[in-house]
Amino acid sequence: MGKEARMIEFSGVNKWFGPLHVLNDISLTVGKGEVVVVCGPSGSGKSTLIRCVNGLEPFQQGRLVVDGTDLSNRRALRALRMEVGFVFQSFNLYPHKTALENVTLAPIHVRGLNRTEAEARGRALLEKVGLGDKMGNYPHQLSGGQQQRVAIARSLCMQPKVMLFDEPTSALDPEMINEVLDVMVGLAREGMTMMVVTHEMGFARKVADRVIFMDRGAIVETAPPETFFTAPLHARTRDFLGKILHH
Amino acid sequence: MFWFYAERILGYWPVLLKGLGMTLGLSLLSLLIGAAIGFAFGIIRAGGNRWLSRALGLYIDLFRGTPFLVQVFIVFFILPAAGIELSAFAAGVVALSNLAACFIGEIVAAGLKAVPQGQREAALASGMTPAQQMRLVLMPQAVRIVTPSLVGQFVLLIKDSSVVSAIGLLDLTRSGWMIVQSVPQGLMVFGTVGLGYFIICYPLILLSRRLERRGQDALL
Repeated sequence: MGKEARMIEFSGVNKWFGPLHVLNDISLTVGKGEVVVVCGPSGSGKSTLIRCVNGLEPFQQGRLVVDGTDLSNRRALRALRMEVGFVFQSFNLYPHKTALENVTLAPIHVRGLNRTEAEARGRALLEKVGLGDKMGNYPHQLSGGQQQRVAIARSLCMQPKVMLFDEPTSALDPEMINEVLDVMVGLAREGMTMMVVTHEMGFARKVADRVIFMDRGAIVETAPPETFFTAPLHARTRDFLGKILHH
Repeated sequence: MFWFYAERILGYWPVLLKGLGMTLGLSLLSLLIGAAIGFAFGIIRAGGNRWLSRALGLYIDLFRGTPFLVQVFIVFFILPAAGIELSAFAAGVVALSNLAACFIGEIVAAGLKAVPQGQREAALASGMTPAQQMRLVLMPQAVRIVTPSLVGQFVLLIKDSSVVSAIGLLDLTRSGWMIVQSVPQGLMVFGTVGLGYFIICYPLILLSRRLERRGQDALL
């Protein structure tokens, strides 16, 4: 992969929480426009892994370069965060702001966009995620699926180069999962660089370029979805897939 | 008999009004100064610098753990010995603002700590500076959480302001002391004074209760 085609590059990243080795010698490159799905049992370090990418989580050893910025440079971190969208499991919308205000807050105050421009952009994005009629609603007036779509629009409104998703559908009722996944599939097809922690294997099959399986802080297996699901190399991967696919 | 004294007490209305004005002015001014400092205290107390937070915590506990009357005397009688000469009004404002700042600081800190961690993370992930996170995301939510307690604190502050009559400020309480010298009906005089405080405080109590109820609804 050429240097300019690399968006995220982990080299020998290690992280400990006290005695717990939560990231064990991670080396991984994600190219521009690539969609990588990360799965694994709970506590395997997959959330920690993507939280490192925008500096929400510090690590002790190794190197991580995102969009040409070395994460060890704490001063460049804020500028980098503008380019990296992050979608949380629990949405984390601002409860005191309407949907539209949630979406335009950072573009106005962080990017320095004027209000008219930010609102035009915000309206277009809320339309795009199917919430054109909910712009004036507060988060508590929206369902979980709608809140998560607002959260995705909020990240997109910064026009990021990378989108990170940390179990975006795990807090949702089953009937709302697809409305969120549909938005993410659309985004993947538009060529967004994405790292997605999820157990939604249908989503992985549809749009992932690669699926990564993590266990106990280490990357156990990386493969394109068709190989990953039909012919996983490692016993632990097979075991995990057996658990999540067979019911 | 009752009406005779009632009429005489009300005949002192200019004194009562003056006292009421002093109580209101002193409370309001101290409230504003105390709130400004108190919010800063709250941010430090809830902030990341552990030693600064602890040092400030000790300072706050010092004032929360001593009688306000003693604090007023220290400001009024002891500071002049250190070369800081204050009028009774200024001393009252200094002591009362300081007390208000200490209480408001702890209330605001509690509010900031009650904002879910995910809010700070969302703001951080969008590239906001720490000041922007505070101003745009954390503080507005903390204020919503603590508004009922803050209003309740204002009531206590107004009542605490009566202590400054001890250093000779003609507030509502002192106007009672003055009137009782010529109208020897302590119960009626101080009943009137008490009523004056109640008239100011009762709407605030009602407001606090209403905000509390509304806050509970908003959290659902």
